[in-house]
Amino acid sequence: MTEYRTGYRMRNMLKYCLALIWLSMSLISGWVSAEVINGEEAQTGLRTWEWREAGVSVQLVQRLPDQTRAFFQGRGFSTAESDSIARACVFQTIFRNDGKHPLVYDLDDWRITYQGKHRSLLTRERWDEKWQAEEANQTARIAFRWSLLPTRQGFESGDYNWGMTSFGLPPGESFDLSLNLTINGNVIARSIPGIVCAADQPGN
Amino acid sequence: MSKILIILLLLAFSPLSSAQQAGKGLTKLPTVTQAADFVLTDLDGKQHRLSDYRGQVVIINFWATWCPPCRAEMPSMQRAWEQLEKEGILMLGIDVGEDEDTIFQFTANYPVEFPLLMDSDSKVIDQWPVLGLPTTFVVDPKGNIVYRAIGGREWDDPELLALVRALKQ
Repeated sequence: MTEYRTGYRMRNMLKYCLALIWLSMSLISGWVSAEVINGEEAQTGLRTWEWREAGVSVQLVQRLPDQTRAFFQGRGFSTAESDSIARACVFQTIFRNDGKHPLVYDLDDWRITYQGKHRSLLTRERWDEKWQAEEANQTARIAFRWSLLPTRQGFESGDYNWGMTSFGLPPGESFDLSLNLTINGNVIARSIPGIVCAADQPGN
Repeated sequence: MSKILIILLLLAFSPLSSAQQAGKGLTKLPTVTQAADFVLTDLDGKQHRLSDYRGQVVIINFWATWCPPCRAEMPSMQRAWEQLEKEGILMLGIDVGEDEDTIFQFTANYPVEFPLLMDSDSKVIDQWPVLGLPTTFVVDPKGNIVYRAIGGREWDDPELLALVRALKQ
């Protein structure tokens, strides 16, 4: 009887250990494999989308059009110019490399899928053509250039950066983002589905 | 007991958001690059010519008041400055594209004692290998850029400061 009980306990202990190992392994694999996490900032209610893989992460945080209008008006853009930026689906973008390897990205290689069609992001260079044509205020253009996420950049391990990205879609619209990165010489292509541009206030 | 273990495991591997954390370390540049010289004025009206600081280690931080990670790293830069100033290591913050009033207002909330220089027309930053803000460089006593950090850092991190201090030798 005692032997039976000891055996029973051993089997239970083994099951318990196996369950713990399985739990640990699945959590660890979840950590290192690709994942997209959707969220909402508690204080602001702004929605976020974050892609993570192998220590690299790209987080997109909605910016309200009014927030963007005020920001760029405060930096020398006219009301009309600020409005054109605000209505171009702007996100705050936080790009981190906490992985072991260097990475490079080029926003010109990223694609938006909107209503079944593919399009490119509105990068610094594309905006600058517009500002040049409209002879926008020089101080405002400097602020704009440095506010946007660089079009191309390399991150060593430990680097990170913030910057706005603009997708050129109307407020409230939804799209999928295909992103490409080169990590340690290997090109990886991933997708963040169902990103939503922040809606504008009624009357704007 | 088993519940505690499971909770500990979940906490250990929970995907905590890392987006708000500072970056880590300094990247040693693969090739020796001479730092582009500049003359810029600080908030007190004093001119700073980089080449005048030859013989000293200089930390050069490109930033702007509206840039969230720039603001986030300012307190740790001040703490680092409090250690480094007496060791003869210089720290220069170069604000990009803003005027004196804007920077002055900023310092009411983020008091810093190291010189804040103004690159209002962004001519200096265009001479440096900067793509985004903040970007910080560490220049050795010979005027070469040795380290770079893209994004904010905890500048009073002892490991990071050890790399900076080692350039004095």
